[in-house]
Amino acid sequence: MSFNMRRLGQVTVVEVVGQLIVGNRQELKRMILAEVEAGTRRFVVDFAMTGYIDSSGLGILVSLSKEIREVGGHLRLASLSEDLRTLFELTKLDTLFDICGTLEEAVSE
Amino acid sequence: MDESHPNRASVAPLRVSKGGLPQGTPPVSPAGGRSPAAGEPGVVVFEVPGDLAAIEGVVDHAVEHCVPARLDRRRLLFNFRVGLTEAISNAILYGNSADPEKRVLVELRAVPGEVLVRVSDEGSGFDPEAVPDPRLPENLTLPDGRGVFLMRELMDEVRFNRSGNTVTLILRDSTSAPSADVELPEAVTATLEDFREQLGLSMAVWKVAGGRRVRVLPLDEVDEADSVSDPPADGAGHDPRGVGGQHRFRIPLGVGLAVEVEVAGHAADSPLVRVLAASVERAAALARDASRNRAALDAALHANRHIRLDMARERLSREMELAHDLQMKLLPPIPRLPHVDAAARVQPAKSVGGDFYQVIQLSGGRVGVMIGDVSGHGFPAALIMALVMSAAAIYAEQGAAPAKVLEHVDRAIGEELESTEMYLSLCYCVLSPAYPDIAYTNAGHPHAFVIGGDGGHCRLRATDPPMGIGAAPYGQSQVRWNPSEDLLLLFTDGLSDTLAHTRRSSGEQLVLDTVAANRRRPSGEILRRLFELCGQATPSIPSDDRTAVVLATR
Repeated sequence: MSFNMRRLGQVTVVEVVGQLIVGNRQELKRMILAEVEAGTRRFVVDFAMTGYIDSSGLGILVSLSKEIREVGGHLRLASLSEDLRTLFELTKLDTLFDICGTLEEAVSE
Repeated sequence: MDESHPNRASVAPLRVSKGGLPQGTPPVSPAGGRSPAAGEPGVVVFEVPGDLAAIEGVVDHAVEHCVPARLDRRRLLFNFRVGLTEAISNAILYGNSADPEKRVLVELRAVPGEVLVRVSDEGSGFDPEAVPDPRLPENLTLPDGRGVFLMRELMDEVRFNRSGNTVTLILRDSTSAPSADVELPEAVTATLEDFREQLGLSMAVWKVAGGRRVRVLPLDEVDEADSVSDPPADGAGHDPRGVGGQHRFRIPLGVGLAVEVEVAGHAADSPLVRVLAASVERAAALARDASRNRAALDAALHANRHIRLDMARERLSREMELAHDLQMKLLPPIPRLPHVDAAARVQPAKSVGGDFYQVIQLSGGRVGVMIGDVSGHGFPAALIMALVMSAAAIYAEQGAAPAKVLEHVDRAIGEELESTEMYLSLCYCVLSPAYPDIAYTNAGHPHAFVIGGDGGHCRLRATDPPMGIGAAPYGQSQVRWNPSEDLLLLFTDGLSDTLAHTRRSSGEQLVLDTVAANRRRPSGEILRRLFELCGQATPSIPSDDRTAVVLATR
């Protein structure tokens, strides 16, 4: 499992390959916060290649979203599978996040 | 996936016990004091170090051991993995206070239709009821506190022991309903239990209450449970879908008592080939009758003993019929993929056979193609086939390399093959409309070819002996693939042997010639012509399963 980071224009896209769970969440946090530090304000986490997310993974997204918002940026989530979307709905986190169907949609203005 | 987990070796199962512990294995007991379900058939015990990075490996191992449960793959890969991840990380972080010296014990039992997993830590426990609802507005932006909630949402049952340092998670086949307390007179449950044992049916008994099915037998086997999570109020996620009644049959017990048995599972997404669930007809009336007269029930049961043999025979032939239906449904439809033209067909010899294929969509536009032939026919072969298909699909869909996929399958069913003395040929190829090579592992499958644009052919030679004869690790090889011209052709003995009866040249050569001559046609058309050829052959009822897969990327 890993995180692939790339830039699409002004947007930094992080692709979660495999799982986002208690064992690797800090790595994602470090990667994104380093980008925030470097001045990036627009982020998309792309879940097209993600198997599952646990509560720690959800938690890290919640705190990242907060930190990015605090510096005037925003975080969008893209390409959630039906199961992953259910996870956000169950926890009502779908009301907290900007969730986009596709990556294209997420990187557009 | 293995490579990213250096800890994996330390989380390998301590043992896989089938009916007893291996001699000399010291019993493992968590410091919490309870002894694990050691020696229970099919129980696997993992000891997890206090390292969060080890969790994913443990969870993957656990998933492998769930194959006998034959649960819906999606629920296994999602609900089970998330639920177990939560339980283990809770145990490490909160139970053991992240102390790397303390360990977590995971005991897993997979039986058809159900996976039960118990996670124990060495901590002093916690009160699960004290966890606040993470969905409340004031909690929504908190980074923590969703673990227990997710477990309860995703698993069918979650129980904590009194001290809160052991959690038991149960995931059932999606056709099952959550268990609940049912009050039936002892006379009825005792009789049904007798019946269950005598007939040797692997079944659960349900009754319908309040529009929902509730479990009567077997009664709850988890005696450690102190609190039972509330069943979801709306029953969501526990849709007791049957199979529309078409696979149900009634077993009369006398004195107005009947057990209705059905084959569980909607075969499209759940490879179930077994008799599982039963319901008690008119439960209330029966309960009244039965409690009035246990003696009459006993007499009826006795009188029915001779009928039972007939019933068992009847059941077997029904099972064969059902198994055939299910096998046909089990073979998944060929997915529609961009730039891929694929077709496949199986003609089973008896009512069920051991041939199978799978075409699996992989990431990055790649496609996985599998063919297999289990030795023998009938129910046992179909069962092995079902197990192989579900185990293979789990790893193939994660994009594992061919050799790895076969290794996982071997690990999942090796014991089953050994105990049944069966073996199978299995060939798995991964290709792409964009790459000039096919990567494959071929465990003793004799007929796998690339047919070139010029009509010539290249054989995908075996990298290993058949599974059940050879053993892991498996080799991997590759052959050239011209995406715009070539055809992948996989077939089983049944096809070529039939043709060998009819012509002088070898059956295999005839198949190759037929495909080469029609290589520019759509795959479905090639397949039709192949099976037409068999239709002309004698005997027209196949003595062996006939299977072929044709795939082009153009």
